[in-house]
Formats: sequence, structure tokens, C-alpha cells
Amino acid sequence: MTTPTDRDLILQTRRGDADSRTAFGELVTRYQTSVFNVCYRILHERGEAEDLAQETFIRAYDRIHTFDIEREFGPWIRRVAANLCLNTIESQKVTSELDDERDADSAQLPEAVQEVRERSEQIRHALASLPVHYRAVVELRHFQELSYEEIAAELNIPLSDVKSHLFRARKILAEKLHASH
Amino acid sequence: MHLTDEQLNEYLDNETNERMQIETHLSSCGECAARLSALQALFTELDSLPEVALTKSLSEASPWGAAPFLPTRNLPAPLPKFLTLTVILQAAFALTAVIIAIPFVANLLPAFEIPSLAESLAQLSTFNLQPATFQLPNFQPANLPTFNFQPATFEISSLLMALAGVSVLWILGNGVFLRNQR
Repeated sequence: MTTPTDRDLILQTRRGDADSRTAFGELVTRYQTSVFNVCYRILHERGEAEDLAQETFIRAYDRIHTFDIEREFGPWIRRVAANLCLNTIESQKVTSELDDERDADSAQLPEAVQEVRERSEQIRHALASLPVHYRAVVELRHFQELSYEEIAAELNIPLSDVKSHLFRARKILAEKLHASH
Repeated sequence: MHLTDEQLNEYLDNETNERMQIETHLSSCGECAARLSALQALFTELDSLPEVALTKSLSEASPWGAAPFLPTRNLPAPLPKFLTLTVILQAAFALTAVIIAIPFVANLLPAFEIPSLAESLAQLSTFNLQPATFQLPNFQPANLPTFNFQPATFEISSLLMALAGVSVLWILGNGVFLRNQR
């Protein structure tokens, strides 16, 4: 039996029959990690990132009839997640404590693994410390691989702002990461 | 003359039309090549950021407690196109009918003698005791065109029934639309 494609699962979800939730559940299983990571990169708070990842799928489920079946589901759902997180930050001005990924048992890990983990954590902290509009362009450019024009359309800002936000964000990130090296 | 930060960023983002000129400059300028290298290192660090695992599967931990996922409700099936068209037409018809009816209703209203509260209560008690003698208020269609028939409750009730019918159509049409809009 062949694995159903995303398109098959979306069409099955749209039918609204007894199997539609199962079909959408399969889509959630496929994309939950990448969607959660979008939220986590932007919010850097695990609990909130999980809540918004779930909210992303709920919104996607409710709007599945409006989804253009010719597009890829993965990039679309990740963009929905990014927008949801950015809107949440804008509306609530989230100032929650940032997560520290270092586990209690991290001392038992090999030194090389610990180093990678610590560096990842420094990058996440640096990302989370950026102003929201800088975080948005970095997320869309580096992790969702949108072009400048696509970012401008997605965030509804001029192309010149996309460039200036992105270049300044990179400069700040480079300084922070260089300082913490 | 060195390359600007903007040129270096656009070069790495593949968003420039000056690739040849930039590469020519980079091949002969160590300072700009070093700046590009530093920027490239940042790109590499961001690209290598590992994904974090979820602590719980979203497909099992929905707020509805539904397994494998999501709401206990199913999505409504989309309406067929012909039904959508029918609903639009009936909504347009209902709206037109209501608009046409407005002047008639406006003309009829002043012809009613609105009884006071005491009179209404008295009428109600009379109605309860002697239902056979209850009558509608005297209706004088002064503002309507004169026809050779007695204004009777028939015209009023017909109009009211038509309006009620139109209202029901209107509500039904909106209901179908709202269901489809979800």
C-alpha cells in the first residue's frame, strides 16, 4: 500500500467524512516538528511554542477548504505558524522567560555534544533577543527560504524594509554570536 | 572602493544582478572577501541550527482529547455550486421583496389605531372571556389607492404572511451561507 501524499490527505480532510480527522491527523504527524520549531525559534519558550503549534493546526484545519491544493502544504503551514507567532507577540507583547535547553543530565553528555548544544542555545538566545520585525525576516529568509519579494508580500512591508531589517538583524546576530564565542 | 554590506548580503541571498562584478571585486580584495566569509559563517550557523523535539505529540494531545487528532466535529462538506447559486438568488429575491414591501407597510401602519395599554389589557381580558367577539382594530386604508373591495383582515394577513415567508427564506439563506463560510 502506497503512502498517501499531502494532497491526498488534504482532499480526504475536505470531504468532511468520518476519515477526515484521521487524514488531518496524519498531516499533523508529518509536520508537527517543523511547525513547532518555527514557533520555538520565534518565541523561544517551549510551552508557548507547543500551544501555538497546536493553534496553527487548528487554524489550518478550519481553513483547509481555502487552501490552494496546487501549493505545497509544508511551506504553507510553516508560514501560518510564523504569522501566528508574530501576531501573538505583537498583540500580547510576550515577555515570558526564555527557555534554557540545558537539561539536568547534560553534564553526562559527551563534550562534543555539549558544545553543539551550547552553541545552538547561544544562537537561539541571540535570535530571541532580536526585535520582533527582525526575527520575522530572519525566520522567513533563513528557515523558510522565502525571497525578499515573498517576505515583503508576506509581512506586508516594503522591499526596502525587508532588506534593512534582514541586514541589521544579521549584523546584530553576528556581533552577539562573536561575543559569546 | 569596497563592497557595501547590502551588496554582500544580496550576493549571499542570490538577490543581486551584479554577481559578476562582485565576484571580480572579491577575487582582488582580501578585506571584502573576509567580510563575506564572516557573513557566510553566520549563514552556516543559522542553517545548522538543529530542530528541537516536541515533548508531546500534537496529534495525540489536542484539547478535545481526540485521537488521532483534532476536533470531535467533522468539517462540513462544501455546498455544491448549484446550491450556492440558488441560495444567492433566493437571498437576492428575498431582499428585493422586503424592499418592495417597505412602502406598503409604511402606508398601512398609520391606519391602525394603536390602543392604550389599558385598552389592550381590557381587550385581552375580553378576548379570554369571549373569544368569539374579538375583532381586530378598525382598519382604514386612507393612504392606499381606492379599490372596490372592503379592506379586510385578508389583505393584512396575506401581506404579513408574505413578509414572514420572505423572512424565513432570508434566515434560511443566511444560515446556509454562514455554514458554508466556516
